[in-house]
Order: sequence, then C-alpha cells, then structure tokens
Amino acid sequence: MGMQAFLQKVLLLELWQGMWVTLKNQFRPHITVEYPRETVEFAPRFRGVPRLRKDPQTGEELCISCLLCEAICPTECISIVAEKRPDGKGKQLVSFTINYERCCFCGLCVDPCPTKPITAIYMSHDYEFAGYDRDAYVATREELVDGKPVKIYTR
Amino acid sequence: MFRTEMMDINMGPQHPSTHGVLRLKLVLDGETVNDTDVLIGYLHRGVEKLCETKNYHMIEPYTDRLDYVAAMYENLGYVETVEKLMGITVPERAEYIRVLTAELQRIASHLVWLGTHALDIGAMTVFFYCFREREIILDLFEAFCGARLTYNAYRIGGLPWDIPPGWIDRVRHFVKIFPGRQKEYETLLTKNRIWLGRTKGVGILKSEDAIDFGVTGPCLRASGVDYDIRRAHPYSVYDRFLFDIPTGENCDTYDRYLVRMEEMRQSLRILQQALDHLPAGGVMAKVPKRIKPPVGEVYHTVEGPRGELGFYIVSQGDDKPYRMRFRSPSFVNLQALPHMVKGALVADVVAVIGTLDIVLGDVDR
Ligand code: SF4
Ligand code: SF4
Repeated sequence: MGMQAFLQKVLLLELWQGMWVTLKNQFRPHITVEYPRETVEFAPRFRGVPRLRKDPQTGEELCISCLLCEAICPTECISIVAEKRPDGKGKQLVSFTINYERCCFCGLCVDPCPTKPITAIYMSHDYEFAGYDRDAYVATREELVDGKPVKIYTR
Repeated sequence: MFRTEMMDINMGPQHPSTHGVLRLKLVLDGETVNDTDVLIGYLHRGVEKLCETKNYHMIEPYTDRLDYVAAMYENLGYVETVEKLMGITVPERAEYIRVLTAELQRIASHLVWLGTHALDIGAMTVFFYCFREREIILDLFEAFCGARLTYNAYRIGGLPWDIPPGWIDRVRHFVKIFPGRQKEYETLLTKNRIWLGRTKGVGILKSEDAIDFGVTGPCLRASGVDYDIRRAHPYSVYDRFLFDIPTGENCDTYDRYLVRMEEMRQSLRILQQALDHLPAGGVMAKVPKRIKPPVGEVYHTVEGPRGELGFYIVSQGDDKPYRMRFRSPSFVNLQALPHMVKGALVADVVAVIGTLDIVLGDVDR
C-alpha cells in the first residue's frame, strides 16, 4: 500500500470530501415549493385538462361539431352530440362532455381542431381535482367553458 | 441432530427496492441466494394488443406509458419506426431537437437510476441532489411539450411545435452547470468505502453471458462489449456527432456505475454539439392526415438509457397496425438477474436490481 492510499485510509479523506459536498449544499437556495401554500409557475405550454373556449371577440362558441377531436382521442373520453342547425348550415352542439377520469392529458385532441384563429378545444392550466365519486370527473359543456368549480377544503 | 433447510422468501411485489411491482422468489440457504425465480406481470396492460385497435396517431400516448422514466425514447422509437415504414424524411431541425430532448432524457433517466440505486444501497443524500438536477430537465421538457413525464412530444413526420423562445439558453445553462453537479455525486460515491464495498465484485455478468442473455445498454457495455446502437446502426442524425462509448472491464455493479456516469458526460458532449449546429427551418414534414403505411413490416431500434429499444410493426395498409411489438430492454435485461445473484447475499440482490435499472412498466407492457 502506497503512502497516499494509507493516508487516505487512516484520515477518512473521501468521507470528509463527501461531508464538504453536503455542507456546501446547505447554503444553496432552497428549491422546494410549499404546495398548496405556493404553487409553481407553469410553462405556457403546460398541459392541464382540456377545455373549450369561446371566441374572445364575439363571445360565440367556436366549436363547429366536426367530431375530429372525438375521433382522435386515444382514450375515447370525449363524447359529442350534434344536430343540424335550424338554418341548415353546418351543425351545432347539443352536448359536449369530457370524462376527465379517462383523459390522459396527451393533447392530441387539440391538433386536428379546425377552428380559426384559435382552436375551440385547448389544454388549460387546470390541474386540481379531487372528488368523492366518479361523476365528479365528468365535465359538461358549461363546465368545459367556465372551468370546473374547485372545492377548497380548509381545516 | 442439526440440519439446514432451504427457505423460500418472497421479495416484492411491494418491496421498496424492487422499483415497482416485481416479485422475486428467493430460495435462500441462510443469507445466501441459491436460486431466484423472477415473477412478473403485475403491471401488464396489454398495450401491444391495444395498439391493434388504435390508429397510428393514437398509439404515441400509449408508448409514453411503457418506460415512463424515459418516455422520450419510447416516443422517438415509435415515430421513427412509422416514418421508416412510410419513408418519410423528417426536417433537419426536427431531428436535432429530437436528439436534444432525447439526450436530456438520457441524463434525466440516469439521474433517476443513480438516485434510487444509491438510496437502495443506503446513500440517501445523492437521491435528493439527483432529483434536484432532474427537475431542471423536467422543467425544460415542460416548456417544450407541456408535460413532465408522459410527453407525447413528437409526431409522425416531425414535431408538433418548435422550441419555445429562450429554451436553447436554458439548455446551455444546464450543460454548463451539470458537470459540476455530477462531480459532487462522484465525490459522494466513487471513492466512498461503503459504496465500494457494496458494489465492487457484486453481480458479475461476464461478456459472453451478457451476450447470451441478450442484455443491451450500459449493462452490456460495462461487461466490456462495445455495442451502442447510436454507433452500430445510427438513426436520426447521430452519425454527425462525436462521442465515445464507455465500456467497463470488471463486469460488476461498480463498473456499471462508472459506465453510466461516463454516459452522462458523453450525452452532454452530444448536447453541446447539437446546440452549436442546430439548423433553422421547419419542424414538420408533409404527411397525410390519415397515416396509412404501405403493406409491409418494419423493425427499428433506438438506444434507450436502458438498452436496445425496438419496435416492430406489421402493416396491412390500414390506418391501424396489424401487429405491434415492443422489444423492451428492461424485460430482456431482467433475465440476467437470477444468473447475477446466484451465490450472492440477500443484500446484494437489491444492488443488482438497482444496477440493472429496470422499469416495471417497460417489463410488463
Ligand atoms: S388530452 Fe388526450 S385523452 Fe384527453 S381528451 Fe384530449 S385526446 Fe383525449
Ligand atoms: S375538433 Fe374542435 S371544432 Fe371539432 S368538435 Fe372538437 S372542439 Fe369542436
């Protein structure tokens, strides 16, 4: 055994080096976020649950009931019922439901949506859901537009 | 008067160090493992069959859920397989961004491995540091594709989005700070006598055994076999980058640790080169709305963080695959486990499971 190896063995050098690393890390800024008191900031592209939106200018519903999002959804959680418009042009929604229980947040439903300039269905930043039964996860058309009400439990 | 008896012990499926729902039936002679029976299937979801009922767009989110620690590679392998079948050329910029995200994913996946492996062996500190750095990568992925674990980040023919503004600088920043952080992990582990004692000479897998078992990835390279798909069968734009393929000599757990540490450094090298040569242009090729590959079959592999990740698709000209098969590295590597722990102590089984770096979602599919 060489001198260096011997010293290393006796002086526990590698141990002290490790301790030094942990000590150094004590003084780094904390990165833990104290959820739910604070929340992290999301990237603009963050994919929460999918929701519907209205035209920001006219306030009209954007969705034209083309059923493309229903067709591409891999978990088949979107179900749309549409009927012919009374004036004979195109279709309009009767109901639009997304079962959030099955949704896997993949964002595929947004890709084919044809409405311009923004897509009618979009990935929102909502993520806080808790419910006591399965029905709590089925979002109706109104809830998809206005957001599902979140119940805040306090002590 | 005295006699000894073999004892059957179940390790798992809820054992914290089996990294998921893996059940091992150990036949023990005292503390020594005499025989091991690996029982899997607790996480079987039938994805391969399920894919036969979905069209080509819908399958990608399902691939995310195979190896959820390195979902970028599952996405990459899948879309490249379909592109190969259809003969689509992906824009160069998209290829570079794919390489960037994939190499970041390799580092993130190796960080999970290092953290949990060290945690299993008893070094808790490394776990926190590794996950701190992994968080930076996950933030980058969130900015790029919107998700942190199941990305669904590529599309057949390219990418759904270009990278967001400022992203490149954030990756550069990561490439700059990471070597220092990696040095810290190495200070904690590489010469630590407990770490050496727990990993040196444990779980030896000779190169010819590794080849016989079909082991790939870092486990194979640590056994001294210089085989990396990025070099052997280059895909994407990997033939343009300079990087080394680290190999081990002693075929033990410690060498596998060294190989993976070196791989992270090589990934940083690739990242640096990809950042410097990122071309401008579009990110999506022209592809039909309905993906209908021609009749035929295709097998394509990518080098995932765990080894050779293969996709086999049989197409009959429909918009759904006729047969879909995943060659998952975790499943194949796991076969070597009984061989590696034969004659070892029970505590070494934990080390060997850690060093094989299995993901049970990938094993059971
Ligand atoms: S995000 Fe995916 S799973 Fe959810 S509704 Fe859209 S397509 Fe379906
Ligand atoms: S794809 Fe868009 S427009 Fe078509 S039904 Fe879905 S939300 Fe409506």
